[in-house]
Amino acid sequence: MKLRSVDGPLTRELLREPARFGLGQVPASATPDATTRMICGYCSTGCSLDVHLQDGEAVGLTPTADHPVNLGMACPKGWEALTPLAAPDRLTQPLLRNEHGKLVPVDWPTALDAFISQMRDVQQRHGAASTAFLSTGQIPTEEMALLGALTKFGMGMIHGDGNTRQCMATSVVAYKEAFGFDAPPYTYADFELSDTVVFYGSNPAIAHPIMWERVKRNQRGASVVVVDPRRTETAMAADLHLAIRPKSDLVLLYGLARQLLARDWVDWDFVRAHTNDLGGFTEHVEPYSIDRVCDETGLDPADFIALVDLHAPGRRVSSWWTMGVNQSHQGVRTAQAIINVALLTGNIGKPGTGANSITGQCNAMGSRLFSNTVSMFGGRDFRDAGQRAEVAEKLGIDVNRIPDQLSWSYDRIIEGIHRGEIKGLWIIATNTAHSWINQSDVRELLGKLELLVVQDLYGTTETAQRADLVLPAAGWGEKDGTFINSERRIGVIKRVARAPGQALTDFAIFKLIADAWGCGHLFEEWSSPEATFTLLARLSEGQPCDFSGIESYRMIDGAGGIQWPYPVEMREAEHQEGSFGSAKPPTDRRRRSKNERRLFEDGEFFHPDGRARFVFSDPEPPKERPSAGFPLVLLTGRGSSAEWHTNTRTGKSAVLGKLHPACTRVELHPDDAAARGISTNDAVTVRTRRGQIEARALVTPTVQEGQIFVPMHDASTNRLTFPSFDPHSRQPSYKHAAAEVTRVERS
Amino acid sequence: MTDLAEPHLPVPVAAGFTGAAPPASGGAAGAPGEESFLTPIDYWLAEQQSLTAVERFAQHHATATTADHETRYRDLLPLSAPEPGEQYAFEVDLDSCTGCKACVAACHSLNGLDEDEAFRSVGTLLGGPRADPVIQTVTTACHHCLDPACMTGCPTLAYEKDPETGIVRHLDDQCIGCQYCTLTCPYEVPSYNTRLGIVRKCDMCAGRLAEGEAPACVQSCPTGSIAIRVVSVDEVMAETSRAGAALVPHAPHSAITRPTTRYTTKRSLTDDVTAADHRSVEPAHAHTPLVVTLILTQLAVGMFGLGLLATGSAPIAAVAFFTGVLALGASVLHLGRPQIAWKAVLGLRRSWVSREIVAFGTFAGATAAYALARWIELPGVVVGSLALVALATGVAGVVASVMIYAVTKKRWWAAPRTAVTFGLTTLVTGLGGTAAVLSLAGRLSRPLVVALAAAAAAKLIWDALPLRRARLDGPSPHAPLAATRALLVGPLRSITARRFAFGGLAVLFVLVMVAAGPSTPPAIALVTTALLLAGELFERRLFFLAVSSPRMPGELR
Repeated sequence: MKLRSVDGPLTRELLREPARFGLGQVPASATPDATTRMICGYCSTGCSLDVHLQDGEAVGLTPTADHPVNLGMACPKGWEALTPLAAPDRLTQPLLRNEHGKLVPVDWPTALDAFISQMRDVQQRHGAASTAFLSTGQIPTEEMALLGALTKFGMGMIHGDGNTRQCMATSVVAYKEAFGFDAPPYTYADFELSDTVVFYGSNPAIAHPIMWERVKRNQRGASVVVVDPRRTETAMAADLHLAIRPKSDLVLLYGLARQLLARDWVDWDFVRAHTNDLGGFTEHVEPYSIDRVCDETGLDPADFIALVDLHAPGRRVSSWWTMGVNQSHQGVRTAQAIINVALLTGNIGKPGTGANSITGQCNAMGSRLFSNTVSMFGGRDFRDAGQRAEVAEKLGIDVNRIPDQLSWSYDRIIEGIHRGEIKGLWIIATNTAHSWINQSDVRELLGKLELLVVQDLYGTTETAQRADLVLPAAGWGEKDGTFINSERRIGVIKRVARAPGQALTDFAIFKLIADAWGCGHLFEEWSSPEATFTLLARLSEGQPCDFSGIESYRMIDGAGGIQWPYPVEMREAEHQEGSFGSAKPPTDRRRRSKNERRLFEDGEFFHPDGRARFVFSDPEPPKERPSAGFPLVLLTGRGSSAEWHTNTRTGKSAVLGKLHPACTRVELHPDDAAARGISTNDAVTVRTRRGQIEARALVTPTVQEGQIFVPMHDASTNRLTFPSFDPHSRQPSYKHAAAEVTRVERS
Repeated sequence: MTDLAEPHLPVPVAAGFTGAAPPASGGAAGAPGEESFLTPIDYWLAEQQSLTAVERFAQHHATATTADHETRYRDLLPLSAPEPGEQYAFEVDLDSCTGCKACVAACHSLNGLDEDEAFRSVGTLLGGPRADPVIQTVTTACHHCLDPACMTGCPTLAYEKDPETGIVRHLDDQCIGCQYCTLTCPYEVPSYNTRLGIVRKCDMCAGRLAEGEAPACVQSCPTGSIAIRVVSVDEVMAETSRAGAALVPHAPHSAITRPTTRYTTKRSLTDDVTAADHRSVEPAHAHTPLVVTLILTQLAVGMFGLGLLATGSAPIAAVAFFTGVLALGASVLHLGRPQIAWKAVLGLRRSWVSREIVAFGTFAGATAAYALARWIELPGVVVGSLALVALATGVAGVVASVMIYAVTKKRWWAAPRTAVTFGLTTLVTGLGGTAAVLSLAGRLSRPLVVALAAAAAAKLIWDALPLRRARLDGPSPHAPLAATRALLVGPLRSITARRFAFGGLAVLFVLVMVAAGPSTPPAIALVTTALLLAGELFERRLFFLAVSSPRMPGELR
């Protein structure tokens, strides 16, 4: 019996050992016998994680030290990426709603039989177009491509959209109209190479912490500007915070352009050689005087002038936007106004510049190119007979299988349920009943469907709970495939864990459904994710996103990810350089390759005439403005770096749970709080015309007077949001609704 | 509609799925092979269970000997080990910390902690001027204090402060799980692990530092906001001695334990910022076994003392002995690892917990010996000496009990308050217990009952004092007793109500006894004592649940 035990079994619980593989010390029980790297499955940053393996199975992970994206860092979600796979509520069997209205476990043959017979039944009674699907930016490109091909070419569906409608649709349309293709032009190195970094409606410190890491590594002493109604963590760290009124960013940007024109801070050589419509734009911004800008945005003129000054000639200006712009009733024009400023000042195609949309989901970019929902494979148009023929030929299918009409967007599909046009819906890896705007309405509508099939890791999501059939899916870490990140970088994910029970990869589920539907022969070439990738590379040929030069997953893996474009010629040029030891880098854009590349270095855009366009229109007020009963503006957004969207996965990690308030919170300004007798921690009710929620008050001057903020991750938040949409992108405007807050009197 | 269940689409798959065989698709029947056959469903299920990443992809850095991240954290570690008069310390650059909180997740993950365990935590400060508001994340771990209260209070000597590095290390195998350090540490650093029955805490990843590797939090911070620095002990002493010195606004006073962490910022973080959780009024840990232990030990000491005053006190002493034993038994229930409870006496030289245990242990023995001596009629000098020992150790035990809580520097547990509370409990329960025993023996006296009435009423009034609004600390939400009051009348109001209901009822019964005098039926006396005890137990429950003190910033809860 020792008086003092300095060692023993409890001490050894925390024993660490050197792990080799450059990992440093790791817990002794989780010392790997191998490691492999893969891309994180949460956001679009695309961080690389070294997964620690024992007998091929993941036992831990650390962020990859030498990856060009994250340089050895990860946010809490990345660190906890494996935890949700082991959650006790993982689906291990399909669930089918029985005659008593209860979801009961069934085997795969029964589930497939139910899927086929019920989906066919709906199609026979209401037509094939009455069935639709909602895809996602959370699964690998290969899976979403197979889903898009299966539903549209195999099952006769017309309508399918992705949850990317909620995050990226605005940027897609903005880029398409301005550049001729949905093409975020930047590489993350641009954060480090700028003199001025402007964030519009973007809170990377919380939403994309690893991109913020890159901003902090800027070696040029960049001035950071944040345009955001709230004093966010990012705004806190910025040199200049422009706390504009919500949705007044378009006016700000037109005013900025006008000042740049007035000062003649225009890159005339660039504008004349590479753009169209500057004349019209110059005329358009004429009315946006400093007075008008400051009047409508609420800014101090000195702050506005400071923003203008930071666009001085010779400065490398990169402008970045996220959901503050995209989720707006006039998001497309706002994004284009950012693009216009970049075009005007020639801040595009050069290091440290760009009009740069930061993507949301890990594979939103893959979805934009290959989900085959609203646009056809590779960014093509369903209405274009020539492009349909091209796709049919590349895939070896009958061209008549390809619909010649556009799919409805997400909001139109929901509207279609309301109108009785959509009767069957298949939702994959997204949580519509939580995340869609004006939730009470959508929950009611989902109940009206004759058939709702949900495919997810968990049967506990708000959407799965409403399904007639739930298919158990394997998650990130349990499947192979590729993601495309914000900077167009294609990265590999791998299977490093076994899915529980009968859960299958979405890829396998789609294959089984194809076979059962009787159209499996169309997808013989789609035999595995990697075989599918080869098909997708073939489909990308000749498109701006051409990555036909990529030969295998292994090639991507070895390179630390490969950005598109990467056509065959680029690979061949690299091989040649390698064999001849050429020191001189090739100058042709299509042949130039480094690990971090940006687009438009030669000023050539993707419109037929090679020129970019200034696109603009008059600002419009938000559709629902504060009024007597609802005097406050409700803003929504990301609450913390530890939460991801509807918390379907992040909610499974106890450690992530420690990093954000456990309760629903509403942030409000001290004056608004005082006027309502509200103190921090008080129970309050937040009401809009759509509904009300219970929350705890957090009184803080970081929100402006007259505004309140509720994080989007809480299941109740979208009871409040107002369903208005950008007319061009159909993206919901989550960030503007009229609301009121009242104290709950304790009984 | 589908007959996929039928194995009519056989795919030859060698035993031991390799991932190489593609599944058949469409209606083409595969050729029968010499191996087993799988339906497409079985094929994909088998494929799902195969892990081939290692074979298919090259391993990176299989032979690396140094940590890949070394270049990222080189500047965040000191160039040399501390000299005498120096020690390691965390340094947090608040200006570059933007609240990603990766430090917490990495601490959990790289140290192999339990599911909800992390040695680092985060909170948020909000406020500042309207025109220039502040939102500031504050990351916090063990501050490896110069005067670690965890170590001073530990009854088993389960903490040591490394003489060279200054790192405060917890010896997990030495811990009996008494959780006293969770009360003494103003920063709530040691946290109890129910699976293991011990507390655990940050050791600054001492093993990593020894190898020139950065602690988990340091190596995981994307903006390099956390560093390890060498600090001068004298400088920390000077800094923490300044009036109102605290790590960040509203944090505990640094003079209590002299924390070494330095939070640096170019901004002025003044008192007009508040923690997001500054108005969270959450009850503290209940520590139910300690509630029972405190009440029973005080009952035993009170009864023994009063028994000495009363004649024929042998039965009272016996009751006191059994109560004392019961109390010690209850205290063992509180331990995570009762099997090594004996280690609790090791800290006698510095821990009030050890002193309390030794005092009450001796008290129990002495009361037993005293009762025995009386019973077998040993000489008066022996009986007298034993009585003196029992009385002295009993009183010493109650004093130690007071000190256990007083040294935590929490306002609700401040020495004067706690001394009065415990003293009155000793008196009230002692009088009550004595009255019960004497009434059974038919020897109840009026002065005793009157004294009991006075004591019971006094205790009730004393306990009601903190309920007065805003008298004690003014309206500031940061005032610790304001939070305590908010708890007493808020989330804990049902317990508060019970405390006063039982206490009030007991006083009524005592008044009946006063009226009835020595002829009070024993049943009435017993019920009175039971009511008194119940009231005291609820009072002591509130003593633990309603404690609140300055803390590091947290999140809204």
